Amino acid sequence: MKNLMLLLAPALLAQEATVIQNATVYTATKPAFVGSVAFSGGKITAVGDKLIVPPGAKVIDGSGLHVSPGIIDSHSHIAVQGFGVNEGSVSVSSMVQIKDVLDAEDVAIYRALAGGVTTANILHGSANAIGGNNQLIKMRWGKTAGELLMDGGTNSIKFALGENPKRQGNTPAPGGVPRYPATRMGVEDVYRQAFTEARVYQKKVADFKAGKSPLAPRRDLKLEALVEVLEGKRLVHCHAYRSDEMLMMMRVAEEFGFRLATFQHVQEGYKVAKEMVRHGVAGAGFSDWWSYKMEVADGIPYNMAIMTKKGVLAGVNSDDAGLMRRLNTEAAKAIRYGGLTEDQALALVTINPAKHMKVDHLIGSIEPGKSADLVIWNKPPLSTYAVPQKVYIDGTLYFERDKDLSERGRRAAAKKALEDQLKLDAPGQQKKGAPPSRRDQSGEESAQ
Amino acid sequence: MKLLVFAVAALASAQESYLIRNATLHPVTGPEIAGGSLLIENGKISALGAKVQAPKGVKVINAKGLHAWPGMINCATQIGLSEVSSVRETNDTNEIGEFIPQVRAIVAVNPETEHILVTRANGITAALTLPAAIAIGGAPGQSIVRGQAAMLRLDGWTWEDLALSPSAGMLVRFPTIQTVTFGFPAGRTEIPYAEAKRRYEVEMRKIDEFFERSRRYQQAKKAATESFLPDMQFEAMLPLLEGKLPLLIAAQRERGIRDAVDFAEKHKVKLVLFDVRKPGTQLARLAQKKIPVIVGQPTDLPLDEDDAYDAAYSLPGELHKAGVKFAFATYDNQFARNLPFEAGYAVAYGLPMDAAWRALTIDAAEIFGVGAITGSLEPGKSADLFLTDGDPLEVRTQVKMMFIQGRNVSLENRQTRLYQKYLARP
Amino acid sequence: MRLFLLLFLAMAAWAEVPSGLAIRNAKVVTVSSGTLPKATVLIRDGLIEAVGPDLNVPADSWVIEGEGLTVYPGLVDALSTLGQDGPRQNAPSAATQPAPPARGPEDRPRTFSWERIADKLRATDPRVESARSQGFTSAATFPLAGIFAGQGAIMNLGDARPSRLIVLSPAGQYVSFVIGGGGGRGFPSSLMGVFAYIRQIYLDLDHYKQAKAAYDRDPKGRTRPEYDRALEGLAESPRLLFPAVSLGEIDRVTRFAKELNVPAVLFGLHEGYRAPEILKASGLPVLVSTKWPTRAPDADPEQVESARALETRAKAASTPGILAKNGIKFAFYSDGQSASDMLRGVKKAMQMGLPEADALRALTLAPAEIFGVADRMGSIEKGKIANLVVTRGDLLSDRPRIEYIIVDGIKYLPPPPPATPAAKESTR
Repeated sequence: MKNLMLLLAPALLAQEATVIQNATVYTATKPAFVGSVAFSGGKITAVGDKLIVPPGAKVIDGSGLHVSPGIIDSHSHIAVQGFGVNEGSVSVSSMVQIKDVLDAEDVAIYRALAGGVTTANILHGSANAIGGNNQLIKMRWGKTAGELLMDGGTNSIKFALGENPKRQGNTPAPGGVPRYPATRMGVEDVYRQAFTEARVYQKKVADFKAGKSPLAPRRDLKLEALVEVLEGKRLVHCHAYRSDEMLMMMRVAEEFGFRLATFQHVQEGYKVAKEMVRHGVAGAGFSDWWSYKMEVADGIPYNMAIMTKKGVLAGVNSDDAGLMRRLNTEAAKAIRYGGLTEDQALALVTINPAKHMKVDHLIGSIEPGKSADLVIWNKPPLSTYAVPQKVYIDGTLYFERDKDLSERGRRAAAKKALEDQLKLDAPGQQKKGAPPSRRDQSGEESAQ
Repeated sequence: MKLLVFAVAALASAQESYLIRNATLHPVTGPEIAGGSLLIENGKISALGAKVQAPKGVKVINAKGLHAWPGMINCATQIGLSEVSSVRETNDTNEIGEFIPQVRAIVAVNPETEHILVTRANGITAALTLPAAIAIGGAPGQSIVRGQAAMLRLDGWTWEDLALSPSAGMLVRFPTIQTVTFGFPAGRTEIPYAEAKRRYEVEMRKIDEFFERSRRYQQAKKAATESFLPDMQFEAMLPLLEGKLPLLIAAQRERGIRDAVDFAEKHKVKLVLFDVRKPGTQLARLAQKKIPVIVGQPTDLPLDEDDAYDAAYSLPGELHKAGVKFAFATYDNQFARNLPFEAGYAVAYGLPMDAAWRALTIDAAEIFGVGAITGSLEPGKSADLFLTDGDPLEVRTQVKMMFIQGRNVSLENRQTRLYQKYLARP
Repeated sequence: MRLFLLLFLAMAAWAEVPSGLAIRNAKVVTVSSGTLPKATVLIRDGLIEAVGPDLNVPADSWVIEGEGLTVYPGLVDALSTLGQDGPRQNAPSAATQPAPPARGPEDRPRTFSWERIADKLRATDPRVESARSQGFTSAATFPLAGIFAGQGAIMNLGDARPSRLIVLSPAGQYVSFVIGGGGGRGFPSSLMGVFAYIRQIYLDLDHYKQAKAAYDRDPKGRTRPEYDRALEGLAESPRLLFPAVSLGEIDRVTRFAKELNVPAVLFGLHEGYRAPEILKASGLPVLVSTKWPTRAPDADPEQVESARALETRAKAASTPGILAKNGIKFAFYSDGQSASDMLRGVKKAMQMGLPEADALRALTLAPAEIFGVADRMGSIEKGKIANLVVTRGDLLSDRPRIEYIIVDGIKYLPPPPPATPAAKESTR
């Protein structure tokens, strides 16, 4: 029966039981220990200091190595194709979806994988108050865009406060017209207008469903997404820097009866930690960014530590394809600045972002039943010297440093061969004896 | 210049002496000394070793469990010249004019900048500040010879105090063949190679001519003919032509490096290359000609899609192996404090630890002509050093204390004050 | 009418005017039902009257002795701008006028779905004759400017009035993923915005149809639905043509077409060689551009190219062979190339594994099938439009000699070859 299964489903071959033994295991929810992690069928099956190896299981000797959950980046813009990540032409662009424009061949995916990242939330940009819908992906390098999508995640939308959404009100693109709003006051207005409109739409749909109107209302993708926000079916990740704008956003959300999932960047989260806890919003941002614009003047690297100490569920993320590859040391900065423990620091880039995105029942820690998204490091994961050796997603090995190193020669040779072939094929390099190409007799121009 | 010497002497004479005891000393230019002592007098390191006699009146610091390191040097920033990068009024970089060698970064450095305090809190005691962005190519009309960089020590009341070297190099935006440019509002613009090459040749002719005219000025001045008239522009070029000042050129790839090295040879000037990423076949030449390099950031993304994912991480190790003298830089202010972690990533991907430390300290100092003053723990050198509870290249390590010119400088800044204030918010 | 046609054609330079035409005892490649080694094709009133061995040639027919000749269905360019004043002038008039920035899908940004290229064709496009002289007798011609650029047409490449040449209109709606130029210049400013717009406008179309039907059933007491020309245009589009060049685009657009649930045709397909499974699963037909990617002649010689780009350049032309092997329906299109360059592109695909029969099919019957006109053109069958090309030697061999081109039953001679192969001047 088992053999038959394997024959029928070759994909399962990669999912045979595997046990990593004698490694230092950082579960992200409990203190680190030396022991084993077992997984099969894409899921973690057991974690402990002494595990019985099931017969036929593949055993990986983790002596001297370190195992952590896959890193989760809750703010990334990689793997997006086509004219950027902003539908910034309008102040409310809740009709657009990152899902539509994923680029599975963006090499940033592989580079992030090589930095231990297994999951990322690909966010719409911050050019407008209500942005587009985000997409959770797994770094399944080599797969198509549809196969990157993470199953079981909750949908989410991007909001943005502060300088970015008001910029086009002050300095429109050349040839363009100013776009409302131009101030933080106007940003608040945009939200209240949009959610008022969404409530009207929500009622129209409800009336139709109740048989009160004969014709279904025109489906409006922009308002549908906002109704989902009102109904708690779509998470809000809100770009914010200053405490005043965060406070405003929380009050608007409360007025309309929904709860924000996270503030992104959350540079001044430390100033309103109390209010954030009361509203129930988490904070996910940079470790140490500052001084690049006015609204980050009070950005401090102690932010994560203060928020954590005051009860905000904090997380560190990248917003950057380069930084994404070393979120482990970004998390470690919360130890340096503000004295979080190692476990608290690791949680900033694993279980906490999983909670931010309401996928902590699936990923974010090493616990039986969760996806086998694992990183094997050569050094403790929060060390500057830690280099991912193997990265698993759903139990499948997607990155292996040794393999990457050993294949470099072959890849370079293959590229060279392509270059040589193309040189041969190039015009003016035709093989001897081939008839001269005929000139176009019509003399017409090739149209472009 | 004399004035500056007086000022420094006056400052130094009023200083306290310190004896750091029981520290693990990392002189960089010599072997590690466990449980060592280091004596600071008159702003300088006067002695270090397993045992150092404590003079009368010296302030003794028990550094048990701590490590002492020479202050690190960040070889490319705009500290003091740029406060908030997106707010134009707070920026004093990128002067206009094609050839402006006479423009000096040092005179526009704001000694009160928050960047000094934030940067040094992580163990960095000196930073090169550049009069303009390190840029490859650039838009036509941007200056070509962009002015003089300054090496700052990160403590002082005035920019004169900060001037570890008021003029540490001449920044040049070297012409490149650039088929793709990015600009606002045009966005990505592509021009044919032939046109890009033509523009490059026009600029090359200009810069060649400028250097030749500078040479002629030098000769005319030497000849002291009656018709000789002084000129600020060419006057500023003299230290360069005399080999006292290096040319600072950013060149990421083989062609740019080759061109820059050819140019420096042709005009017989010293050269420091910046933001080197893919030296390719030029690597051996850099070693052979002893041309120092400020590496691109190890934490930068690789330049090209097919580059090894760790290409930038591992470049410092490759430079070291090839025998190229190099140092580290962050190329900005915001992340200037992360210099040690940049080096840490290079170590993770193959750079030996001792080479990383040379690059962070003495090699950087030597490249910019301040190697006799700072960059290592040696008697006679300026007491520019810091104490940590562990390996400074590890993120979690804490900097406990810092000395610049022997002054025990504060590691506080606006960020630590905000931390204290809001941690205490009821 | 017929008289008019005759008069009109009599003035055409290379046309001859038979009352009937017969090609006797030639090799006939029907494409739809094999090759007849020795057969006669009878043509009358612009149609194929009969085809087969041992046919009696009517006395009033002009006769072409077919000994040594091969008769093929005329070639079809499956996506072009032929008959338009030029690819750059084909933008709908509205596209060239500054419009206020669109504030959302409701403003129907860059939409010209109601415009029909058939209404704008001109007899003056010199490219028509060039294409015909290479053996092309029909082309799909489409407007290209806009997210919904408008309705294309299938036209025959004769020299009659354009209205005589139209075989099918509308033939489909041309879609491109173009944006408004960024902040301040209107919605959409991103690729995802374009997708959202297309998704929304099809929801609007559903609602529009319902609202109109409800109103028509019982107009009294109801507000009449607002007329929407953009939706009217979409409603009458028999299919959508979507661009899809790379693997990622092919994957994205096949999924999108399925979601929209509209008949779709993909065009571009240079990375089709990487996507046979996706294409097969989608069941969508595709149009393959014969303008294979090349390194720009003015590129920087030291520019680093990705292995991915190099591979696409090396392997793009293997796409048609792989499509054929996987049973995916495809046709070729010129993508702005001249007809002779297009044929060179087809031959390159043949060198890279495309069987000749499949190449020929992709130039004749396949495009007719894709546009739903295989019942009237695309192969040599009784009753179909008499669009033929008569050659000495194989049409897709290196140097075929085209003897006659027949469009709508009218016989054209190719222009005489230039004096020397290097001669540049036009032979028109």
